Amino acid sequence: MAIWANLSNPNKRKAKRGPGKRKQRRSDRLYERSIIVLIVLVVLFFGVIGAGGLIKVQLVNGAKYRADAEDTQLRDTVIAARRGTIYDCNMNVVAESSSAARIYINPHKIAEEPKHAEVLETVVRQLSQILEISEDGIRTKASYVGYGYMAVKYKVEKKQADAVRKFMETELLTTNAEGEEIRRKYSEFVGVDPDVIRYYPMKGFAANVLGFTGTDDIGLAGLELYYNNTLTGTPGRIIAAKSAGETDLPNQFKDINDPVQGTSLVLTIDQAIQRYLERSLEQAKIDAQAKAAYGIIMEVKTGAIKGMACVSSFDPNDYQAIADEAVRQKIQAIPDEDERAKAYNDAMFTQWRNGALEVTYEPGSVFKTITASAALEEGVADLNTSYTCTGAIQIGGRTIHCHNRNGHGTQNFTKGLMNSCNPYWITIGQKLGLEKFYQYYTAFGFTETTGIDLPNEAKPKPGITFHTKESMGIVELASCSFGQSFEASPIQIITAVSAIANGGKLMRPYVVAKELDESGRVVSETKPLLRRQVISEATAKTVAGMMEQVVSGGTGKNAYVAGGRIAGKTGTSEKLSVGRGYVASFCGFAPADNPEIAILIAIDEPVGLINGGQIAAPVVAEVMEDVLVYRNVEMRYTEKEQEELGGVTPNMVAQPVETARTALKNAGYSVRVIGDGASVLHQIPESGQSVPKGGLIILYTDESEASRTVTVPNLLEYSLSDASYLAARAGLNIKLVGNFESNHLFTYHQSIEEGTEVPLGTTVTVHFLSNNGILDR
Amino acid sequence: MTHSTTTRRANAAPARDRRKDSAGETAVPWTQRIFAYGGFDYPFLVLVLVLLCIGVVMMFSASYVNAANHKASNYDAFFYLKRQAAYAVLGIIIMLLASKINLAFLRKAAVPVLLLAFALLVAVLVIPSKEDFKRWIYIGSFQFQPSEIAKIALILFFAYAMEKFQKPQFTPAARGAGMLPAKTFAQRVQRFWARWNGTILYVGVLALAAVLIYKENHVSGTVITLGIGAMMIFIGEQRIPLWFYFAATAAAVAVIIAVLKKPDLLPPHAAERIVSFLHREQDQSGDNWQTIQSLRTIGSGGLLGQGLGQSRQKYGYLPEPQSDFVFAIVCEELGFVRSFGILLLYVALVWRGFMIALHTKERFGSLLVMGIVLQVGLQTALNIGVVTATLPNTGIPLPFFTYGGTALVILLGEMGIVLAVSRVARQIKL
Repeated sequence: MAIWANLSNPNKRKAKRGPGKRKQRRSDRLYERSIIVLIVLVVLFFGVIGAGGLIKVQLVNGAKYRADAEDTQLRDTVIAARRGTIYDCNMNVVAESSSAARIYINPHKIAEEPKHAEVLETVVRQLSQILEISEDGIRTKASYVGYGYMAVKYKVEKKQADAVRKFMETELLTTNAEGEEIRRKYSEFVGVDPDVIRYYPMKGFAANVLGFTGTDDIGLAGLELYYNNTLTGTPGRIIAAKSAGETDLPNQFKDINDPVQGTSLVLTIDQAIQRYLERSLEQAKIDAQAKAAYGIIMEVKTGAIKGMACVSSFDPNDYQAIADEAVRQKIQAIPDEDERAKAYNDAMFTQWRNGALEVTYEPGSVFKTITASAALEEGVADLNTSYTCTGAIQIGGRTIHCHNRNGHGTQNFTKGLMNSCNPYWITIGQKLGLEKFYQYYTAFGFTETTGIDLPNEAKPKPGITFHTKESMGIVELASCSFGQSFEASPIQIITAVSAIANGGKLMRPYVVAKELDESGRVVSETKPLLRRQVISEATAKTVAGMMEQVVSGGTGKNAYVAGGRIAGKTGTSEKLSVGRGYVASFCGFAPADNPEIAILIAIDEPVGLINGGQIAAPVVAEVMEDVLVYRNVEMRYTEKEQEELGGVTPNMVAQPVETARTALKNAGYSVRVIGDGASVLHQIPESGQSVPKGGLIILYTDESEASRTVTVPNLLEYSLSDASYLAARAGLNIKLVGNFESNHLFTYHQSIEEGTEVPLGTTVTVHFLSNNGILDR
Repeated sequence: MTHSTTTRRANAAPARDRRKDSAGETAVPWTQRIFAYGGFDYPFLVLVLVLLCIGVVMMFSASYVNAANHKASNYDAFFYLKRQAAYAVLGIIIMLLASKINLAFLRKAAVPVLLLAFALLVAVLVIPSKEDFKRWIYIGSFQFQPSEIAKIALILFFAYAMEKFQKPQFTPAARGAGMLPAKTFAQRVQRFWARWNGTILYVGVLALAAVLIYKENHVSGTVITLGIGAMMIFIGEQRIPLWFYFAATAAAVAVIIAVLKKPDLLPPHAAERIVSFLHREQDQSGDNWQTIQSLRTIGSGGLLGQGLGQSRQKYGYLPEPQSDFVFAIVCEELGFVRSFGILLLYVALVWRGFMIALHTKERFGSLLVMGIVLQVGLQTALNIGVVTATLPNTGIPLPFFTYGGTALVILLGEMGIVLAVSRVARQIKL
C-alpha cells in the first residue's frame, strides 16, 4: 500500500475526504487491481517475455545466431595474388603471370530452373561458340546437377571472357518459385571467375630449371616448385554480403583484403649464356645420337649458375606436349592404347626432369682432378712423382686395364693427368690410402647434396650410389681413384671441380640471386655461400695449371679456345650400374690463371664417338668461347693464333678503287673488286670485322652489283688447308677455331650450313679438332 | 501531483450534468453530447506519434527489398511504405476525431458495436473464401479483420457493462437479493443470478467471442482476446476473489508445463505444432524457418546494430519482413540498445495509459483506456515473444510497426479514444 500511496491515486484521496465513501473504497478495488495488472504486464510480459527474449537472442546467443546468419549471407571471394615474375640476371622476363578468366556454369541452378531445357540449350550453344569447346563437354558438366560450380574452361583470354559476360546479361522470361512471371539473367547460370596464365615468353628457355605451374597456379616443377611459396604471394579476399537469391547487396559492407603479389625472382642465369649452352647442347646431342645431354655453367667464385640445360627439354607453356619430335612419333606409333599412354607418361616425366641435378652417373676421369688435388694437398705425391704405365695394373688380385692397352709409359704427375692414365691414378689413390681418400671424397661434396635451390637434387645414398668408408676396400679405392664405381650428379661434379678453380673454396651453387617485392625492391639477396676450404690455394693453382695442360696438350685439347686459357678434364665413364653405354663428359674452366667460369657438359649414351675428349670437349670449347667473349674476358693469344686471327678490316668505303686496292694488298689481304665504279660503295666484310690474315675483301663499286651471293660449300671433315682452299675458291672468308698446338686436325663444324646463299666475302667460322691423343678410354 | 479540479474545469467544456445527460434531457446542445472538450494528454499523443513514425520508417526499411522483388507488390520498393503512410495519415485524422468523442456517446455505442462485431464475426465464417483461414472481410479493395473490431468492441462493452452493473451490487436491494435465504430452487437461481449475473455476462460474451475467433483458425487472436478479457474482468468484475485467479494461473502454468513436457496429452495436430516448436533446429520448414531466420536476424544486430537500412536478413532470408517479424529487422538494424529503447516506449505508452485511466473518475473511461492499452501492451509483448522464439509462431502483429492499413487505422482510432478519455482525466496535462 505504501508504494501505491506514492503513486497518485486521486480517487482514493478523495474517498478519504468524503464521508460514506469508505465502503466504496473497500469494495471497488479498481485501483489496486489495475496496478496488479500493470505490474504483471510490465514485469511478466514486457520484462520476461519481451526484454528477456531480446537479451537472450540478441546479447547472450547473438554471436551464434549472427554466425549462422553470416554463414548464409556472406560470400567469400578469393582474389588471386599475381604470381611473382622470374627474371634472368639482366632482368629479362623468363616467366610471367597475367590475369585471365575461368568460365563456369551452375548445373544446380540450371536444373532447378522451370525452363531448364531452354536454358541448358542456350548455355551450351553460346558457351561452345564463344569458347570454342565441344557442346558435349559442357552438357556432361551440366549433368552434375548436385554441384553449383563446374568450370567449363580455364585460362580464358579477356576477349572471350567479355563475350561470356555479355551473354550473362541477356535475360530470360520465366517464373519464380511462387509461379510469378519474372525476368532472370543468364548470370544466374553462368559465371566468370578470375584465373591466371603463366607465360614463359622464351618458350623452352631453361625449362628444366624454371619448371612450370599447374592449372591452379601452383608450381609443379623446377624453380616454380622450389620457390612456390615465395612466388605465390598471399591471396586477397572479398567478403561481401549477398541476398538469399545470390545477388550482391547494394551499399552493403565489403571487407576487402588486398592480395599481396608474389615475390619475383632474379636468377643468376644469363639469358645469353643459357642460349649458348642450349644451342650447343642440342647440337651435341644430335651429333652424338645420345639419349640425353646435360650442361651446367657456373661462376666459380660464387657458385652462381649462369646456365643449366638438359636436352631434350620441353616448353613450359605447354608442358604436357612431348617436345622431342622423335619421341613423339615413337609414342604415336605404339598400337596398344595403354602402352601408349604409359609411354607418353614416361616421356612427359623424363622431359620434365632436370638431369643436371637429378641424374647421376659415374664421373670417370673428370674425378682424377680430385684425386690429384688430394694427393698434392696431402703431399703423398708431387709433380715429379712418376709411374710407368704398362697398360694394366694389379690391385687386390685383380687386373685393371688402362684405356691405352699399350701403356702410356713413364709419366710424371701432369702427364698422368694429360693422358688420363688409369694405372697412374690408381697408384696415387693407393698412396693416399683409404682414410685420406675418403676424407677428400667427402670434402669435395660427393657424399652430400650441393644444396642448390632447386628441387629433386639427387641425394647420394651411402652404400648404393657411393662406397661408405667401411665398405671400401683397395679394389674400390682403385676404381674410385679414376672416377668409377660411384655416382655423382652433374651439379656435384661441377661444384667440386669449381672448388679447384676457386682456390680450393667449395661453394654452394645457387640459381636465385635476388628476390624482389611487388614494387621491385630487393627483399633478399643470395650471398655466395662458402661451404668449406677443401684444398689449399696453392694446390688448387697447381691442379688448375695441370688441367690447362690437359686442354693444351692432353686428352682435352678439343676444348681449346684460342686466347681463352681453358683448363679442364675429360671423362668417359662406363655406365656400370646400367651395364651398357657410356657417359662422355668434360668439365673445364677459364681463364686458367684467374678462373671465372666453369662448364660441365655430359653426354649420356652417345653412339659412335664416345670419348669425352671427342664429343664433350668441343662443346665446352664452343660454349666457353661464346661466354668468354660475351663476358668480355681478356683473350691472350699465342703468336700463331695472333697471325691466324688477322686484323680488323679497315674501312675502304668512299675511297677510290685503286687506293683501296693498294692499301689492302699492302696490309696482306687479297682483294676482289666488283663493278666498274670509281670508288668503293661498300665492302664485305664490313669495316671493323675480323678477317684472317690473307683473307678476302670484296669491294663493291657499282650499285647494280650490290648483292652478289655465293653458295657455302661443305667445309667439314677436311684438313685445315683443304678447308681454307675450298672457302677461298667459293669466295668466302674462313675463320678457323681450335687448338693449333695439336696435330691430325680436321674440321668438324661450320658456322654457316652447306648450301646457304651468302654474300660474297662472308666469313664462315670453322671449328676443327683432333682425334689424336684425346682418348681416355 | 496535487492539483485542483478548477484547473481542469477552466479548460473544459461548459459544465454539464451527466445524470441529466444520460436521462436524455436536452439541456445541453447536441454537440456537447457527442464531442468532448478540454485538453487531452500530450505525452500520450507524443508517444503514439513517436512509435508511429519509428514504426512506419522501420516497416519501410524492412519491406523495400521484399517489395522490389515481388509481383504482389508490383516490384515497387515503396509499395508498402506508400500504403502504410497513407493509412497512417488517415489514422491520425481518425485519432484526432476520436479524441473528440464524448464518453456518453461511447457508452451508447457500446452495445450496438458489440452486436455489429458479433455479426461480423459470424459473417466472416459464413462468407465463402478462397483462403484456408477465414480472417478477413473484403469490401472492394478495403479489407479488415472482424477480430480487430471484436477486440475493441469487447473492451468497449466490458467498460460499459462493468460501470453499469457495478452499481447494483451496492444497492440495498441488490444486496438483499444476494442475501436472500434460498429455500426453493427458484430462490436459489434468483440468488445465484443476483450474485453472479455480471460475471456470467462477461464470461459468456468473452467465451462467445473467443469461440468465434477461434473458429477463424485464429489462435493468436483468440489468445489476445482472452487475455484482454480476463484482465478486464480481473480489474472490473471484483466478485471473483483473488485466490481464484491465483489458482487459475497456477493451473494454467501447470498445464503449459505438462504440455511442453508431454505433448502427447494434446490432440495429435496440436501436439505436432508443439513438438515442431520445441525442435525447430531439426525441422527447419515453414513457420520454423521463419522463426530461425528471425533469431538470426535479431542476433545479427548485436548491441548496436548494423545501421538503419543495413539489414542483410531482409534480402530474402527473413520471409515477409514487413509483417509480424518486422521487429526482428528493427533489432538487426538498430541493435539491442535502440530496440530495447523502443520496448521502453511501449512500456511508457502503457504506463501513461494506466495513469490516464487511474485519474479518470468515471469507471467506464478508466476501464476503456486500460482495455485499449492492455491490448497494445499484450500484442507488443507477445509479438516480441514470438520473434525471439520464446513463444510459438502465431501471427501476432506489432502495433504501429506491422504492415496493415485497417489495423493501423483501428489502432489509431483506439488511441484517439484514449485521448478522448484523457480529456476528462484529472491529471496534469503537459
